[in-house]
Amino acid sequence: MRPNEPLPPTSQATIGPFFPRTFFRTGDNDLTRVSAEAQPTARGETILLRGRVVREGGVSCLNMILEAWQADADGHFNHPLDPDRHLADPDFLGWGRAWTDAEGCYEFRTILPGGFADATGPRAPHINLTVMGAGLMRRVLTTVFFPDFAPANHADPVLALVPEAQRPRLLACPDGEADGIRVFRFDILLRGGPEEETPFFEE
Amino acid sequence: MPRDEVPDRFAPWPPGIEPEVPVPGYPNTWTHTPSQPLHRRPAGRTEATGPLALHRKLPCGDANLAQLAPGRIAIGQLMHLSGRILDEDGRPVRGAVVELWQANAAGRYFHPIDQRDAPLDPDFIGNGRVLTDEEGRYAFFTIKPGAYPVPVKETWWRPPHLHFSVIGPSSLSRLVTQMYFAGDPLNAYDRILNAVPDAAARDRLIARHLPPEEVGDRWLGFTHDIVLRGRHATPATP
Ligand SMILES: [Fe+3]
Repeated sequence: MRPNEPLPPTSQATIGPFFPRTFFRTGDNDLTRVSAEAQPTARGETILLRGRVVREGGVSCLNMILEAWQADADGHFNHPLDPDRHLADPDFLGWGRAWTDAEGCYEFRTILPGGFADATGPRAPHINLTVMGAGLMRRVLTTVFFPDFAPANHADPVLALVPEAQRPRLLACPDGEADGIRVFRFDILLRGGPEEETPFFEE
Repeated sequence: MPRDEVPDRFAPWPPGIEPEVPVPGYPNTWTHTPSQPLHRRPAGRTEATGPLALHRKLPCGDANLAQLAPGRIAIGQLMHLSGRILDEDGRPVRGAVVELWQANAAGRYFHPIDQRDAPLDPDFIGNGRVLTDEEGRYAFFTIKPGAYPVPVKETWWRPPHLHFSVIGPSSLSRLVTQMYFAGDPLNAYDRILNAVPDAAARDRLIARHLPPEEVGDRWLGFTHDIVLRGRHATPATP
């Protein structure tokens, strides 16, 4: 092994239509638990993030794989690149995987993330989503923000890169409650016109 | 995992490596691929970090696809595949989750969506998940998959291939890719493989065959390394 010998990254390809159902387990879409058997974290407000993935023409996308990654309730990541890792919630995983049903619907159970500041600036609370599926040769990346944090959203350096008219499309919509838990809705239009397509970020 | 083991620099994809989209002759890509330019953003903490210790969430250790249970061997050419998961500095990615799925020897997936009129093998499910070791190594025991046609108007046959999903230590190092076999005549016609513009990048998607002197004569041997995005700002001292 020769460290620091630059290697070109391996090309990505579509996840295709046959990502195994047998890989899925109950609770994969639950970010609040570090394992299926673990107790959910006690920190933060538990929320449901629900939405529908559609393609051109508003047609439902079945069998899309979504993965979420986010900071804990206080804005920390349990990762060596977080300088405050020692403060990170040990009972919060921050990662989950969901898949869409025949109507294109997905759901994550998580907690409302906290904001933090890094080299890019003051980051508003957000959830990173990646979508993979048949027809997507490259995965798409988007970021969900919350209407609860208007001033923080206004100051967010990544949201600021998105044209103002498109920013509302990156805000989750409050959608009532389920079992006493607030529900947020975030629909994803993979392909549409400039007036409607979900804003996506370069990898 | 200490700080100096995880990449913290993420340059854009080098040219020619990413598949060019949408793909001519592959209709789904024309309805799913975003039409608007992607927004470029700096890689901050949220992109450089990612889930660690995922083996608790995603149980790993399922490395033998060829034998479902004692005495139940899948039909097909038995093969052993091993390789390493590396970052762009060539450093091993330890503890990465590697998921593999593939068609059976007749080119059919064990999946409710695959209703093609080709036989299912009762002894082959065709997927497994492992965790890389200290050297970034993974290994699977499986069978060589068959080719299958893509049900579109201008159909083509997908050459034998394995699907890989790799979850590394950063959200930007997440990778879904496919691995191919050298010398298959269908490789030249595959719209998915050939969507990668750079010939050298396509070559790197093809597994290296290991001769029987190295792996014995009981199964075909292949090795295939996968490089995830990410470099280290501070070079490691050897
Ligand atoms: Fe396939």
